[in-house]
Amino acid sequence: MLISRMKLSFSRTACVAVAVFALTACGESEPQTGGVPPDMRRVTVEQYRNVIHDVFGEHIEIASRFDPLVRTDGLFAIGARNALVTPSGFEKFYNVARSVAGQVVNEDNRAVLVSCTPEDASSADDACSRHFFSEVGRYLYRRPLTESEMETAVSAANEVADQFGDFYTGIEFGLTGLLVTPSFLFIVDETEPDTSSPSGQRLTGYAKAARLSFFLWNSAPDEMLLKAAESGDLHTEKGMTRQVDRMLQSQFLARGVRAFFEDFLDLEKFETLEKDTIIYPAYTVKAAESAKEQLLRTIVDHTVNKDAPYPEIFTTRSTFVDSHLGRVYRVPVTRPDGGWESYEFPENDVRAGILTQMGFLSLYSHPGRSSATLRGKAVRELLLCQKVPDPPGDIDFSLFNDPNAPSRTARQRLTVHATVPSCAGCHKLTDPIGLGFEQFDGIGQFRVAEQGAVIDVSGDLDGNQFDNAKSLAQAMHDSPGVPACLTNQLYSYAAGRAPERDEREFVRYLEASFAESGYSLQALLRDIATSDAFYAVTQPENGDDGVRAASLNDKTKQELGS
Amino acid sequence: MKTQQNQMKREFLPVLAATVAILTSAVTGVAAADAPPNRTLGFVVRDWMPAVYESKFIDECPAGLNISNDEIWWRSLSKAERSEKTQDGLITTLDRWFLSKNRGPNGEDVCINPEVIKDDPPLLTVEGATSFGVNLDGNVDGSATPKSCRHDNFSSPAGVPGIDNQLYRLIGCVYGFRDQGVIEINANEMRRTSGLAMILIEVTDVDDARNDDDVTVTFYRSIDQFPLDSSGQVIPYSSYRIDHKDDGPRYGDSLKASIVDGVIQTSSGDVRLPYYGNYNYLHPVIRDMQMTLEITDDGADAKGMVAGYYDLEQYLYHTGGLGPVITTGNFSCPAFFEAAKRMADGYPDPETGECTHISSAFEVKAHAAFVVHPEQTSKMETAER
Repeated sequence: MLISRMKLSFSRTACVAVAVFALTACGESEPQTGGVPPDMRRVTVEQYRNVIHDVFGEHIEIASRFDPLVRTDGLFAIGARNALVTPSGFEKFYNVARSVAGQVVNEDNRAVLVSCTPEDASSADDACSRHFFSEVGRYLYRRPLTESEMETAVSAANEVADQFGDFYTGIEFGLTGLLVTPSFLFIVDETEPDTSSPSGQRLTGYAKAARLSFFLWNSAPDEMLLKAAESGDLHTEKGMTRQVDRMLQSQFLARGVRAFFEDFLDLEKFETLEKDTIIYPAYTVKAAESAKEQLLRTIVDHTVNKDAPYPEIFTTRSTFVDSHLGRVYRVPVTRPDGGWESYEFPENDVRAGILTQMGFLSLYSHPGRSSATLRGKAVRELLLCQKVPDPPGDIDFSLFNDPNAPSRTARQRLTVHATVPSCAGCHKLTDPIGLGFEQFDGIGQFRVAEQGAVIDVSGDLDGNQFDNAKSLAQAMHDSPGVPACLTNQLYSYAAGRAPERDEREFVRYLEASFAESGYSLQALLRDIATSDAFYAVTQPENGDDGVRAASLNDKTKQELGS
Repeated sequence: MKTQQNQMKREFLPVLAATVAILTSAVTGVAAADAPPNRTLGFVVRDWMPAVYESKFIDECPAGLNISNDEIWWRSLSKAERSEKTQDGLITTLDRWFLSKNRGPNGEDVCINPEVIKDDPPLLTVEGATSFGVNLDGNVDGSATPKSCRHDNFSSPAGVPGIDNQLYRLIGCVYGFRDQGVIEINANEMRRTSGLAMILIEVTDVDDARNDDDVTVTFYRSIDQFPLDSSGQVIPYSSYRIDHKDDGPRYGDSLKASIVDGVIQTSSGDVRLPYYGNYNYLHPVIRDMQMTLEITDDGADAKGMVAGYYDLEQYLYHTGGLGPVITTGNFSCPAFFEAAKRMADGYPDPETGECTHISSAFEVKAHAAFVVHPEQTSKMETAER
């Protein structure tokens, strides 16, 4: 593994090597950043689910969808910062909260999940309610409840318990209330004065814990992290490092890494993926689910279990398959009744790395045919962080789609674009890459001919020539833009925003450190999670206390307030 | 100029043809003149139907097709009896199958006890001269041999004499066994949706997927069901585990074979195969079985014929247990039983001299598949994470 990393580092371009030496080999310390005003982010559906499951158990069912987040600067994590809670969106949160609370207190679960027993279950029990909300509220809010919050929850529970003659109904209503408050639904940057900080402010220990936990585990802090926050350990380098290292060793790291790559690779698109099953009989809804899962399993196994260099996700032959994928790849599986198994494509196989997997190839294709343009655009935008301009609105597709045209392969059809100046500008960015994948049809099945004509899969990636998908994957592996893009997006994901102007040097520092680690994702996670920049805040804007009230519209604020 | 163009065409076209051939080979995988992965080809049988030769005007059945068990029963009843047995007509035609089946003198099921009825009209059987199948007994005149009883031979549609297919003679004038007949269509459908008795064909020691004079063909039963696409069709290239017990595969008889231009031709031998259809499960040994299987150019599908002597007792167990299908299958169980005994032409009983097997031929259609052995399952690292 170490040798592999060394090779990788040496194979990089000179500029990266220089950067490595300039910034890390000489012991460069973390560049200072000015921080940003405190903000708040709405939890994602997955984060909501993880928190509920972590606090109450996997058996709690959460069968609902929330209002979608807007993908901003290539990440939903950034869009979460600008999420509004509309009245209908609030209703969805409320319905789920009722359902969750109902399950927590039902007769099957209450003995375990409600950690105290009321003296009389047919009436309110102030002490028991207080105990329950104190314990559960700390996990849900990622900090202890304030006295005011506690009083609200307990008095609501008591009132309902007395009215309905049932202690647990009271708990149910009180818990529902907690689950629809901004303090639960939003990850809030709560701050406190800090004389040692240039801005005079810092995140509270609990806010740091939440930021860290949602970054690495995609869920709320566990007991140890909350205790570290409570004790002030997270304000010390040693205490923070101890917690980060513990979290990196945890089984929950895989969950966090999955969440990042789902966002980074825009895998939410799978939910709307459709294919013409007459053309692709092997495509089923189950196959699409497996394709997404294969991508994530491959990445998590590579970066978490093996801690192998990140660029090798484009060249690794190791992956996982199930029966659905076996039919697409035309390889045997030993468990046709379901389940995953490790698989290594043979050395002379046409496939290597995640870009030759069904997930990428089907996601970036049309319902009935492949698309060199979509695939090339995805590589540019997702993996190299390059913006490909949107097509003009007045495109004439008649030449491209002419069924009587003599062109049989995608390359032949796409040459039409070369003759139209308004198309050529963008297509020369996307098509030379995407054509390298043309030996895979619209769901990723291998082929060497299209309509009887040989498929030419040669091309170049920013000057690096390739002659098939495998050498294209190698070109991706060798591209300095690949780790640079990941670094930028991982930091953006962690912070919930694109890097500020004064953070560019810090991001370059991360890139160099990433290279020096042999492109260990875990090392990069650690660098970000232990950095000062990740937690740096300035004074709140408009004198707010850290909660940006504008995140809720007026009507919703009224409803929440009431 | 025209001459030049023609000259170019002459030179170019062969090159183009060669290129296309190479491409086709590469696309299909099995069409290549290379060994397939692990020197193995695999198929799963999707359709298994008796090979019934049908002329345009049903000339092979000059007396027409048989009437059903129900019809025979119905014709035997007076109007008063019809009213009594059908609750004054409330039991409709398709629901009378169990009444007609139990028409023995003492209410016996005549499909399970066909010998209790002796006066049904004789089964109408094939009188044509042409049939699918192969020469199983080695002669062309139909005379008895140590392993066969006297019978009439057919010629193949191509004119090859000596074809042994007494099963065709037995069932060829029964509507339910003919093209689009309900019996085998229903059986196929039941196999497709139940996953029972699915036959796997594994071809091993393959050095050249299109031409190899020495390969081995082994027949297994799958424990995995067909995966179906959204239109209900079987998806090729799926993996199927073989049915295995402690001391080896439950089925697993092998035949030596050759492949010529993509056509697998096995030698002859006894093979036990699973069969399920119309609620009956059989596991007959097909004696002197041989198979011809033609693989399509793209390697995804195959079709061909299996011929051999079918165990008559097992076959009659199957036809006697067709249940409601008998109503639309259209034959009299007692007449069918009597005719089958008469048609049997293979493997005479040493004591009685009666033949115990019947020559047969079946059409098979198959899809490319991966045949998974237990040792593969145990050796491969699983990944339950």
